[in-house]
Amino acid sequence: MPEVKLKNVVKTFDKGRITAVDHVNLQVQDKEYLTLLGPSGCGKTTTLRMIAGLELPDEGEISIGKRLVSKLPPEYRDIGYVFQEYALFPHMDVWNNVTYGPRVKGWEEEKSDRIGREMLELVRLFERTDAYPSELSGGMRQRVALARALSSGSKLLLLDEPLGALDAKIRTDLRYEIRKLVKDLQLTAIHVTHDQAEAMAISDRIAVMRKGKILQVGTPQELYLNPKHIFVANFIGESDFLEGYVTDSFEHKLTVELRGGLSVKSLNNDHKIGDKVVVAIRPEVLSITKGKKSGLNALPGNIEGFRFEGNIVRYEIRLENDDLIVVVRPALTGEWLNVGEKITVAFPIEKSFVFSYPERGLRTELALE
Amino acid sequence: MTAFSEPQGKQNLLSRIGVSATVASLIIFVFLPSFFLISFTFTRWPEVYTEVFANPLIGDTNWIEIQKYLGLSLRLAISAVVIDLIFGIPLAYILARKNFWGKGFLEDLITFTLVIPTSGFGFATLITWTSVSGLGALFGKGVVETNYLLPFFNVPFIMLIVHIALTFPYIVKTVKAKLEDMSTLFEQASGTLGASPFTTFRKVLFPLTIPAIFSGAVLAFARSLGETGATLVVASVYTTAPIAVISWVSQFKFGPAAFLGSLLIIVASAIILPVEFALHKKGISTFSIFSKLNLEKKLLKVEDFASRKLSRLRDGVVILFIIIVVVVPIIVVLNSVVLTWNGDPITDNIRDGVVYQLFGPSNYFSALLDATLISFSSAGIATFIAACIAIPTVFLIERYRFGRLLRAILRIPLIVPTSALGLSILLLWGPGGMRLAEPGIWLIILTHIVFSVPVIVEPMLATFEGSEIPLYEGASRTLGANAYNTIESVALPLLKRGILTGVILSFTRSLGETGATFLVMGSNTTIPPLVVNMVESLAIPAALFASTYLIAISFVLLMVFRKVTSR
Repeated sequence: MPEVKLKNVVKTFDKGRITAVDHVNLQVQDKEYLTLLGPSGCGKTTTLRMIAGLELPDEGEISIGKRLVSKLPPEYRDIGYVFQEYALFPHMDVWNNVTYGPRVKGWEEEKSDRIGREMLELVRLFERTDAYPSELSGGMRQRVALARALSSGSKLLLLDEPLGALDAKIRTDLRYEIRKLVKDLQLTAIHVTHDQAEAMAISDRIAVMRKGKILQVGTPQELYLNPKHIFVANFIGESDFLEGYVTDSFEHKLTVELRGGLSVKSLNNDHKIGDKVVVAIRPEVLSITKGKKSGLNALPGNIEGFRFEGNIVRYEIRLENDDLIVVVRPALTGEWLNVGEKITVAFPIEKSFVFSYPERGLRTELALE
Repeated sequence: MTAFSEPQGKQNLLSRIGVSATVASLIIFVFLPSFFLISFTFTRWPEVYTEVFANPLIGDTNWIEIQKYLGLSLRLAISAVVIDLIFGIPLAYILARKNFWGKGFLEDLITFTLVIPTSGFGFATLITWTSVSGLGALFGKGVVETNYLLPFFNVPFIMLIVHIALTFPYIVKTVKAKLEDMSTLFEQASGTLGASPFTTFRKVLFPLTIPAIFSGAVLAFARSLGETGATLVVASVYTTAPIAVISWVSQFKFGPAAFLGSLLIIVASAIILPVEFALHKKGISTFSIFSKLNLEKKLLKVEDFASRKLSRLRDGVVILFIIIVVVVPIIVVLNSVVLTWNGDPITDNIRDGVVYQLFGPSNYFSALLDATLISFSSAGIATFIAACIAIPTVFLIERYRFGRLLRAILRIPLIVPTSALGLSILLLWGPGGMRLAEPGIWLIILTHIVFSVPVIVEPMLATFEGSEIPLYEGASRTLGANAYNTIESVALPLLKRGILTGVILSFTRSLGETGATFLVMGSNTTIPPLVVNMVESLAIPAALFASTYLIAISFVLLMVFRKVTSR
């Protein structure tokens, strides 16, 4: 039932000098788990706060379900909101925090109590009802905050970096727990995070934001396999970037000449001969063979750096044309190449993406802020 | 080894001397005068007892009067604090959480009643309510009679109004500071859970600000209990405890004066200190009485309605409150001075004009100039000496284990009603005791030092605790500076704002002090008692001018205060 729609929403701060959210359009389906993902300062939290009514938009419309809520204060929006710092009331114990929503809404005491018990059982904190927030661990506080947000009975759950303040291990455990809860209770969830791994793991769809704009909305697979924007290609997963000019275009393939006489072939999407472009390749699709080889998309170079990261190894490779790229291989073979070795890297033609060279330069376009 | 321990030994000696000197001056200049009155009453108990309870001529009349005066003072203080809370808490909320045009001006007005010498403000309130030059202009006669007794509260109306105006800033300032420190996150969380702003206030903000509300109320209560300057001006037929102390001393009835003064100190400490100590916990939990009485639901509905419809009304009422108790009196005084400048506006009698009274035979102008000189020099010297004691005291409080105790005892001079303090000084250093000084400017200075030291210490401590000074001091020591270099080059500069704030607060307090000064000034009249004298001798135009003068001085002090405290 609670679909969330944002239509041309704009929010500025500091008397219009800072545009936090810039004409954002977004549609979140009922029972969908959507993540707003982006670097800090991209406007994702402001967007979430506008959906909650904690900020009011300067322009545009926000609706929840069939109701237009753009100007409504938070208490009339029927939402559940989990704050990044939890915002548990320090003067109330767990029980009073969790039943706060039902009580201030004036529900029958019996009903409030039942919901409180259900929610605390759901987050497995029923035995800690008398504890004050200051007596709980970070993970427990997070679960209380979740139970409190859910106890309002709302079908829309808004989560602002809910795992941001936790240790890495607890964070990964809790993310699956939250997703399971949302799915079990058939809620619509909008989750804000800057952690792309978290977004990939938890979401039905991800909206990637940057500088107040949504760049691309899609399932994790779509964003990874088919990024529409060079920033997305870099922010979701990793990418190597090779700069060059289109020298040939034939049917659906085009040839890009890199500096130093190297060239690669890629699938064409509307680039013309003479265009300056960037070819993006995932470090994990690049293969490495020893020695200097020739062939389709074969780029000779030598190994300049090597890092062991547990499940993977990461090679830094200096190509013959002096471009530096990264190649990631699974670590389990145990047969690793040595620094200084001459090698050739290659990639399948369909596993690369071509983007127009950004007007403001590649570095600026990929910058997080 | 010796190369290292020798400078260490020297420093130890120096620091021991420093600590002893500071503690000694605190005891002599601050603690001794605060407690001397009580010990005086005890050591002279037979005489005091005879005077108060078994006077051969009047029996226990003095005791009956003491009960009456103390009763009035307590009723007045409690009523003022109750009304302060009703208006002060919403005002603090508005100032802390909302932005609106004129907010800075509103804050200045609130500070203004803290810095204005109270006798001048008392006079302004008096004419505002009781004469045709004030609010009475609307009705053709004064709004109330000077001696009008407010039913239910059973306190004189004018007195209550004056006490409210002079005490509500304490509640506004402490609660506002607490709210500003508190993250708005809790309010937001409450809103997302479906609570209206009024419900959020009752269930979340109010419980969390309870400690601040109490400490503001304590300060307001203490101020009201000891208030003398404005109270004397508006007293008419009524007598509060501090006024009784002054009038008995002026009749040389030291017995009942000392007994009443001691009672004031004991009552103030008994009410205030337990509250202070009980406070330093986290906020209280939510009240459950509402749900037990089944009122909760109705309350929620009312709060929801109020949040939607009445928040503007609340803002309006609160602003109106400030206008009536603070702005109108100031305007009335300024307006009256202009109207009576050359003569009485109705009779045209120049003898009732400001100019005649200032420069005519009574020559109030030169009296005012003399008083200004004495006021400023005594306030300046007292503040300087107090600062010299207060600065090392702050370091003692922060560095030594007895610091907490020191801090607690330092609250006492702040709550001792000043007329009791004046009497204490008179009996300790004055002609009745060690004969250190005759009543006059030096005795005034000795009196003002007592409350100036804690007034300077408080903002310094706040700055100290907010600025991570130990961290920077540690950094300075690792770079090779010794303890004294570090204090001079790191700690004191970081404390500068706190020191300045304290010095200005102490100076304004000293400038406006009336109760104690009355008893110790001899012939060296300062400005506030001069205003009281003018009113008592019915030199109204002169009092008008003097009040305007005080308002102008306060305005300048306010500007300085603003400059110092703004970032």
